[in-house]
Amino acid sequence: MYKYRRPISWPLSQFLTGQPRPFALIIAIAVVVSLTAGCRRDPAPAATTSGSTRIQRGGEIVVSLRAEPRSFNRFVARDTGTALFGQLTQSKLIRINQVTQDLEPWLAESWDVKGTTVTFHLRPDGRWTNGDPVTAADFEYSWKRTLDPALAADYAYQLYGIKGAAEYNGCTGGPAQCNKLRDKVAVKAVDDRTLRLELTSAQPWFIQQASHHSFLAVHKATVEKYGAKWTEPQNIVTDGPFMLESWEHESTITLVKNPNWRDADSVSLERVEGKIIVDGTTRVQSFEAGEIDALDGAGLPPEEIDRLKEEPYYEQYAALGNFYYGFNTKNLDLDTRKALSLAINRKVITDNITKAGQVPATGMTPKGMPGFDQINPNSPWLPVEGDVEQAKSMLPASAPKTIGLFYNDAPGNKEIAVAVQDMWKELGIETTIKSQEWAQFLEFLGPPPNKAVDVFRLGWVYDFVDAINGLELFTCDSGNNNTNWCNKDFDALVEQAKNETDTNARYELYAQMEDIMFGENGEVPITPIYWYTYPNLENDAVRDTFFISPLDQIDFTKVVVKGT
Amino acid sequence: MTAFIIRRVVWTIPVICFVVLMTFLLMRQIEGNPFRRTERAVPPQVQANLERKFNLDKPAAVQYLLYLKGVFTLDFGPSLVLRDRTVNDIMREHFPVSIKLGLLAFFWALIIGLPAGIIAALKPNSIYDYVLMLFSNVGFALPSFLVATVLIYYAALKWDLVPTNGWPSGTWALDSRVLLPSIALGFVPMAYFARLVRGTMLETLQQDYVRTARAKGLRYRRIVGLHVLRNSLIPVVTASGPLLGYIITGSFVIEFIFSIPGIGRYHVQSVNNRDYSVVMGITVLLAIIIIIANLIVDILYGFLDPRTREARS
Repeated sequence: MYKYRRPISWPLSQFLTGQPRPFALIIAIAVVVSLTAGCRRDPAPAATTSGSTRIQRGGEIVVSLRAEPRSFNRFVARDTGTALFGQLTQSKLIRINQVTQDLEPWLAESWDVKGTTVTFHLRPDGRWTNGDPVTAADFEYSWKRTLDPALAADYAYQLYGIKGAAEYNGCTGGPAQCNKLRDKVAVKAVDDRTLRLELTSAQPWFIQQASHHSFLAVHKATVEKYGAKWTEPQNIVTDGPFMLESWEHESTITLVKNPNWRDADSVSLERVEGKIIVDGTTRVQSFEAGEIDALDGAGLPPEEIDRLKEEPYYEQYAALGNFYYGFNTKNLDLDTRKALSLAINRKVITDNITKAGQVPATGMTPKGMPGFDQINPNSPWLPVEGDVEQAKSMLPASAPKTIGLFYNDAPGNKEIAVAVQDMWKELGIETTIKSQEWAQFLEFLGPPPNKAVDVFRLGWVYDFVDAINGLELFTCDSGNNNTNWCNKDFDALVEQAKNETDTNARYELYAQMEDIMFGENGEVPITPIYWYTYPNLENDAVRDTFFISPLDQIDFTKVVVKGT
Repeated sequence: MTAFIIRRVVWTIPVICFVVLMTFLLMRQIEGNPFRRTERAVPPQVQANLERKFNLDKPAAVQYLLYLKGVFTLDFGPSLVLRDRTVNDIMREHFPVSIKLGLLAFFWALIIGLPAGIIAALKPNSIYDYVLMLFSNVGFALPSFLVATVLIYYAALKWDLVPTNGWPSGTWALDSRVLLPSIALGFVPMAYFARLVRGTMLETLQQDYVRTARAKGLRYRRIVGLHVLRNSLIPVVTASGPLLGYIITGSFVIEFIFSIPGIGRYHVQSVNNRDYSVVMGITVLLAIIIIIANLIVDILYGFLDPRTREARS
């Protein structure tokens, strides 16, 4: 008798041919088992696994990072993520008090400024994580390495204020020639604890600038031994309040407290876990699911801000940054620029589009900058609620009927452009708005900007706490001046400010610069729209001590988790 | 068979050269400075140093040849943006993640899509057929980020079943975080398989030999399970090759939403960043993957379908 052999376990066939077998039961059991096996909740994770679902108590904090830090490598790192972790793991010479913007001694316990000579005196108790003392020679090595043309460091230009730096960085000859130039760079470790520099001009803000992350030191022996791999967790040597424990690229970075740091007792946090989450909505969701304690001020999706502002975990910080529309002064004459600037109702934009407490701008330098009251011109051309009537009367007959507005395709820019388009329509001007991808957009702006660009959107986030950082963008040959505007008097004032050591006198110069741009007889090369804020989400446990400074820095040595 | 394989492998080389050429030309066409990521202009000395370091100051033909050399020595150089890491490092660390995600998505597609299509074909125009095909159409229509967001909202936020994002580290590690991304990514392949299998099975069931087998008295189960299914699944195998390639390359949105450190995200970001070496490396890698997937499918096809075997020999 032929014994039928079933095809390789095909329970489905039972179902299909209508045989009353326990088919359904088998399938149901299989499905339920597989689903529940996958749906198992993670138990409390071990110390080395990342992505835990509940935050650890006991002085540990989970933060979201907006992007993978480009590098811990002081030489090339340029983004906020790197800056953040750089500051955690490395010690700066100077620290800027986040609240008052005053300079505080940090690794340098004191400094002298005599004309163009700056001398830093280092503390004796700075230590690298391998026990070596931090010396002035480390700084001399690090800064010269940053300027090395072979390294092609992005932020080398931050050091151009030092005599000989720009020349060394621009060296195109062979090693012999460049080494000669290197020896001419005016940074010298006079002894283990004294670092002396010669600047190109007085640059009163230089000490401030020295708190930028491009001025941090690296450990020479480690860099020379491991080359490009020196930032891997097993090789890295740092000298700051936290140490790198692990780094899973694009996923998580874990820092632990450095117990040998000179001030370790004052640091409450034991562990900082940074989860790299690039998408804004995902960040918010992760926070609301309780997976992270705080965001890093990276910005919230515009459509969520309304809802999030009502929540107790929403926080807002003033930022030193400027959102502006720049004009192509070759295409638009003075009266047209004034009219266009008058017609913009900034309050409508900050209240209804950006909605995160941004401040309508009345000049270039943002509120919160030291000297603001003296510097701010309270420009008649930047009315908070716009002044369409005056704009209409100012608009010359020769004004173009259509203008092109260019912006980069980041969240929020389009809505603002559409609003402004509407405002300018009331003047009888048709605005064509064009969105471009970032790198393309930058190419279009030049300088000099493409002919088709009449108005462009741009922003500026300050590198250090001094108004010159924003004002010097508009000198005649600044690489950041995309307006075709060139005013010799303005440039002269900038030069003067570089050598003016009296703070009040310098603020007076800044006020004059702002007056040239935005005063009664101002030339309005740009029209600032608002000054930034950093909206953030922080949960109850850390909210009291978590603080984002106007320069977008978070000092984790000050953060305390409630209950620890 | 071996001649066939050798011929295919040899053909890969000109294909790769062409891919490199096209990628190179396209990347050069879109302007953009790889070293200017923020509004800050790059000072001329720094720009010159960077260009010298990455050979961008050389003429285009020389650069192309350097890329070609890099491809064939499998050394794609350092990333222009992430200076500490070489392209090889990036691929080695992140590519397995994308493969894992892709395979899991493929697994879901098989587990759910195939049975759905089979049931629909065996009970045509019944309620099962209509419901399953409705799901299939919806699955095609819904973009993956919508599926992902809905899944996160319900499964992760409201019902708190799984974490909202993240990915387990380690090649063989699996935990609840892989569920949502792989389902979201596998949605479209699921729908595709269901449709495909239903179509081919319906067609095969019309064949003469099925009628003959029934006439002979064979049980329907055996006919379906042994004969019809094997013939219908051949197009599925054919489709799987490019589909697997598509899943692995098209996972960018899912990786972005779920913060998965995969290669898809890197690929798109490196284009935005004008990171020429990474773009070249990943594009070539993906081209090779698709070529290999197609080759395997063609070989398998020979094994599965005796008619092709005859035709080839």
